[in-house]
Amino acid sequence: MFRSNNIVARVFQRQIYTPAPGTSVHCARRFYENLVPSCTIYDVECPDHLFRKFTDDGQYLISFSRNHQDLIVYRPTWLSFSCKEEDCDAHDLPPKSKRFESFFTQLYCVPLASCNEQICKDFFLYMESNQYGIFATSTPVTEAPASEGAIQGVPFIEKMTFHLLRLGDGVILDEKVFNNDFVNLTHNVGVFLYDDLLAIVSLRNQAIHILQIRDSGNLVDVRAIGAFCHEDDELFLNSNAQCMALPDKSKLPQLPENHAQNGLHHSQPNLEDSFLSGIKQRLLSFIFRGIWDEENDPSLRVQGLKKKFYFHFQDYVNLIIWKVQFLDRHHLLIKFGSVEGVVSRNADHHLAFFAVYNMETTEIVAFYQNSAEDLYLLFEQFSDHFHAASRNSLYMNFISSPSNNIHALEQLRCIKNKANVSSQFVKKMLSSLPFSCQTQSPSPYFDLSLFRFDEKLISATDRHRQSTDHPIKFILRRQPYSLKFKIKSGPEAGSSDGRAKKIALFLFHPFLPLALSIQQTLFLQPSVVNIHFRR
Amino acid sequence: MGSVLGDWPSFDPHNFSQLRPSDPSCPSRMTPATYHPTHSRTLPPPDQVITTEAKNILLRHVYQRTEEKDVLRPKRAPSELLTPEHGCKQPRASPL
Repeated sequence: MFRSNNIVARVFQRQIYTPAPGTSVHCARRFYENLVPSCTIYDVECPDHLFRKFTDDGQYLISFSRNHQDLIVYRPTWLSFSCKEEDCDAHDLPPKSKRFESFFTQLYCVPLASCNEQICKDFFLYMESNQYGIFATSTPVTEAPASEGAIQGVPFIEKMTFHLLRLGDGVILDEKVFNNDFVNLTHNVGVFLYDDLLAIVSLRNQAIHILQIRDSGNLVDVRAIGAFCHEDDELFLNSNAQCMALPDKSKLPQLPENHAQNGLHHSQPNLEDSFLSGIKQRLLSFIFRGIWDEENDPSLRVQGLKKKFYFHFQDYVNLIIWKVQFLDRHHLLIKFGSVEGVVSRNADHHLAFFAVYNMETTEIVAFYQNSAEDLYLLFEQFSDHFHAASRNSLYMNFISSPSNNIHALEQLRCIKNKANVSSQFVKKMLSSLPFSCQTQSPSPYFDLSLFRFDEKLISATDRHRQSTDHPIKFILRRQPYSLKFKIKSGPEAGSSDGRAKKIALFLFHPFLPLALSIQQTLFLQPSVVNIHFRR
Repeated sequence: MGSVLGDWPSFDPHNFSQLRPSDPSCPSRMTPATYHPTHSRTLPPPDQVITTEAKNILLRHVYQRTEEKDVLRPKRAPSELLTPEHGCKQPRASPL
């Protein structure tokens, strides 16, 4: 649409031409080719906090104190200064303006964690509609004591609290506590936010807790999927257990008092082992019915079942929930795997399956192995639907993925063609499912249609990366393929100690030409913060 | 017949020259001839309601695949699955 790269010419063009249908956001984004964060303030003097993220609406910068106990929230602003000379552009910025406070105003500092707890610094979720933030504090992670109903080998947290905070003023609205449990919080892995629904995966107790965030600021329990599927399953089973346990009253006189708490366990200890309930039952019966329906002939049917179901029965029974995401308000994508896969670092070699579960009808809709081609095709064609965190957030549809960006699709196809073994490639791609929530920056500088950059050094995913001394280049994707800006982390002259391993974190503002790069060496030295902005 | 636009400048003076007044009683009112269908085959059913599909396209594909598998599988009566040993079903005629 824009023939000229000159920004004034583009503005005039915009006055005359209407963009093609459905491309108004893409056309507006092309102005980011002209407005780039090319100016860098190196090694800005700033408070020694752990900067975590810009919220996706660009209103707040979230950071935690070094001791992991306080939350500090800043408002991104912009620097302003006055210059008495005539030709201001040629001058360098006045030293007084080159400060952290020129760009960020502290709003408040709120203590979240009490004495022996710490804030999980890798976890933060933002609910844009009400400007609520979700944080987590926990006691230290320890080795798991063996206990009934819990998975062996999964770590143990004595107390974990999720805090719902109104970011406008820092008021803590509600809390949800999990005791003697474990939820994987690094990079938002174990928690998924969709609209106002929160899914928390309790690995240790194998339950998916669905909570709703009301507009009033309350965290309300909706259901817990795991041992039970419907909300009233537990009530039903307990009431039946009471009825069936009555004849045994004469043999076990202490039973009636225990009924209220442990109805199922004490009255029918045998059923504990043979009665698979909840989501496990749904899953196994779905697999069974699928194999049963493949054949018409009864003997072939039984053979098929023996080979495909009963031979692997114990493996299926031993599957545990690894990770969960919402596909829409009623459907969950659940990843099942083996116990060993959860605790090991390299989960790729372990068995894994995906299931689509409808929470309303409590039915499993589909079941795939992690090497399933048809799931991979859905992933390739509809990646942005897997990323959906809300029905209403507009910018999520424009984060580059193979389904909405030709360059991302080409990259994916390139890797696919290079892969020797197709199933290995499919497994590798599907290992990123279910996606973690809010881990990608919506900044237009990561739009693959606008800029080309080295994805190993920087990308939309907010993770710490290996830091290099040379700057990361952002090159125009379109004519004239020129270098537009560079992002360099660390001090301007490079660091003196070349041998120390350095990691960098890049925080891009969602829509302003503003970015922070934070370089840390791994020996608790203070981090070097650079501010990249458009002058 | 003069141009509808009178003497105003126009790109092609023959534009609008084919217009005839549809109602002879008021010749200045130049509405173009309209066409009405002679049959009602293409009318929508009177109780038709058009709504947005609640499921997103990904879920539609997931459900479609499941239904395709159901269609491809040999059909079976649902009660067979539950009580095959009760013998209340007629034995299926052999395809051979």
